[in-house]
Amino acid sequence: MKKKIIKVIIFLLIFGILLHYVMKILWYPPTAVSYFYKEPKNSLDVVYIGSSNAFIHFNSVLAYNLYGYTTGFLSADTQPISLAKNLIKESEKYQNPSVYIIDLATSTEDLKLDIDNGIRKTVDSMKFSKNRIEAINESLKYIKDIDKKDYIGYYFSFLMYHNRWRHISPLNFTGNTSLYKGYQFAESTTKVVPQNPFNWLDEKSELPQENTQVLKELIDYIKANNLNVIFVVPIRYFEPEYNRKLNKVIEIIQKNNINVLNFNTLEDFNEIDFSKDYYNSAHLNVYGATKYTLYLSRYIKEHYDIINHKEDENYKSWNSEYERFKAKYKEITKQDFNEFLMSLKNRY
Amino acid sequence: MTLTSLVFALFCVIALIIYFIVPKKFQWIVLLISSLIFLFYGNFHISTIIQALVVLLPTYFLGKEIEKIFNTKKSRNLLIIGIAIILAQLIYLKYINLFVATANHICNLFKIQYQFEFIYRNSLIGISYYSLIMISYLVDIYRGTCKSEKNIFKFALFMSYFPILTSGPFVRYGNIKEDLYGEHKLNYKNLCYGLVRVFWGLFKILVISQRIGMFVDTIYGDLNTYTFIFIIMAVLLFPLQLYTNFSGSIDVIIGISEIIGIKLPENFTLPFFSRTLTEFWRNWHITLGAWLRDYIFYPLLKSNAMQKLNKKSKEIFGKKIGKKIPLYLSMLVMWTLIGIWHGGAYTYIIGSGLLQFVIMFFEDILGPISKKINNKLGIDTEVFSYKLYQVIRTYLLFAFTMIFFRATSVSNAIDIIKHLFTNIQSLFNLNLMFNLINNIGLDIFDAGMLIISLLVLFIVQLLQRKGNIRDKLFKQNIVFRWGVIYTLIFAVIIFGCYGVGYDPAAFIYRQF
Repeated sequence: MKKKIIKVIIFLLIFGILLHYVMKILWYPPTAVSYFYKEPKNSLDVVYIGSSNAFIHFNSVLAYNLYGYTTGFLSADTQPISLAKNLIKESEKYQNPSVYIIDLATSTEDLKLDIDNGIRKTVDSMKFSKNRIEAINESLKYIKDIDKKDYIGYYFSFLMYHNRWRHISPLNFTGNTSLYKGYQFAESTTKVVPQNPFNWLDEKSELPQENTQVLKELIDYIKANNLNVIFVVPIRYFEPEYNRKLNKVIEIIQKNNINVLNFNTLEDFNEIDFSKDYYNSAHLNVYGATKYTLYLSRYIKEHYDIINHKEDENYKSWNSEYERFKAKYKEITKQDFNEFLMSLKNRY
Repeated sequence: MTLTSLVFALFCVIALIIYFIVPKKFQWIVLLISSLIFLFYGNFHISTIIQALVVLLPTYFLGKEIEKIFNTKKSRNLLIIGIAIILAQLIYLKYINLFVATANHICNLFKIQYQFEFIYRNSLIGISYYSLIMISYLVDIYRGTCKSEKNIFKFALFMSYFPILTSGPFVRYGNIKEDLYGEHKLNYKNLCYGLVRVFWGLFKILVISQRIGMFVDTIYGDLNTYTFIFIIMAVLLFPLQLYTNFSGSIDVIIGISEIIGIKLPENFTLPFFSRTLTEFWRNWHITLGAWLRDYIFYPLLKSNAMQKLNKKSKEIFGKKIGKKIPLYLSMLVMWTLIGIWHGGAYTYIIGSGLLQFVIMFFEDILGPISKKINNKLGIDTEVFSYKLYQVIRTYLLFAFTMIFFRATSVSNAIDIIKHLFTNIQSLFNLNLMFNLINNIGLDIFDAGMLIISLLVLFIVQLLQRKGNIRDKLFKQNIVFRWGVIYTLIFAVIIFGCYGVGYDPAAFIYRQF
């Protein structure tokens, strides 16, 4: 009997290992969140949470090269603000960052809808844990239009991804080479309409009750845990109604004495070229991202007590990733990144 | 809770763990509680409780009473009362709309401006199964072939044993009671054999049946766009979809029961290798066939009315033909009932009932003639090529009858038959063909996977003809054995059509 029990255990163990690797291959190529988990414990100084604006706008390897601090992303496309609290909790399990940056681009979105599967795109990258279940519960409690049979797919993502066997690409085996420690290199350029300035409105309008509640819970958590947080509004066009609601969000946060940087209204951030620096209407390309990173990385350095790891051997992967980024920049633009950087550094 | 859902898998794992943990004398109670949870899952309502009790209580008490007054006229009356109660509820909940549709047709026929409204009732899962099982229980006691169950809770377990509520098979009380109430300890061999059977069933349902379903549904859903070759393919593939779905469900059910230690009867024995439709039905839904044979066909054939008819017809048509008339009449009644049982619609009565009867009737009549011709012409009917011809002929006939089974109405079925041979010229319009192929519900990967999985099914069935394939597998060395099992499990996990983006496996037979 003992022999048979051992056999069953070995069988299940091999099954578990095989399942883990099969699912890993079948899953989408690594995301910004996957890179967060790859970093050694307590090695990240900054954790950036929020929508795609986070990992497309903030070049973490550039920030490291400039100031020697490391940034990880718990960000995904159209990530709703309802996930932010649990993502901080997730971060605290693995890292002890000095600062959190929380992107507010989707903070006014209707929480009753899982717009573009923002919840799924985030939680599918999270490791299986109690906090992941909590994160799913927290965001799904507002959702009204998902078929009940699809709920289970949020908890067990293989129900969604097992079907990807037909789409497996080399990226599933080699990793996503367009990500640099999570930062996504956005190369093409779109002329943004309307042109500069985006005419940021000063008026405010009321937030939906759910968004106010989520924001309140997030602020309470931040204050209760004495966390350093910078909320950021990315520089991009927002529909007037969203603009007004964002003003309300900013007001609520500032009333709680938490820092908010609205890049649309910052007087000393006015170098974005609306005909060259955008990848699409909502995202900066590599040029815009460089300008954004120069500003924000210096702001973090100046306002928070952060260690410079540049001389630390344990962080040498950040240097090699920066070199890989520069090589990619040169390959795409046929220019040297340092030259581009020097042309901007004088201004920041 | 469908057989392929994650909820069902979790439910079974929890139920099995508890079953093997509790003291053995309480094991049947665990099964009863699990079965009641399954029976009322998502359907716990006063009306469904009443439905269950309406069958449970009379059958239980009448069974005891019939046994007490065994072999008396009163026991016969009690039996009739019991059957009437069970059938009344079954007809009311499942087949009432057949009467409504008939009444409406009659109204239309006589140009009466009145239409009866269809009645939709929320019925318990497996009502078509447990109703017939309960009837067989009463009849078996009446005939003295089994004893009644004295414990009402044990009887409730017999009625509601959860795996068979989904798709059968039909069980007899006398055959299952020992296993059902017996004490079992987790047996390594049962566990291995059961799990392999479960995953083989899931492979059939999720990898093959669901994939064929994606194609068949697309074609049947748009007869104006898809013509000729596509409709022929859909018609030819539907029996395979039905078979893999139904026999796959039975594999899951038998596999789960095997782990527990309950042996259930087989419901399929390679029907697509049959040389005649009569043989086909001996290998397809075997337990339903056996039930109808034992409780309808033979009693009817032996009834006084049929005996009188037998005598009369022999007088009129002679001994040879005359003796066949009551036989065919009994067959007609039985096949009509099989059709009705499959669903309260004329499509089922025609598709899985009357057409089957007609073909078997001709098989019976033409069989001897064909034999004589073959003998005269010196055709060897035992060679591979002739057997293959017969097997293909049987498949084609069955596929044809299933047009009615799959159709949404009789007129839809006729429409499909009409479309089978129209627009043949579309075959030569390559642009149209490519466009249609792009929209048939399967991409190139699905089509490839379907071909491979059907090939696997075919090879496994060939091996099954030569003996128990699991016995052979478990005699192999561990590397090969585990390799095959892991391949099977991962084939289901990776290539199965389930989860987000797919409809949960809709079981073709579950509606019954």
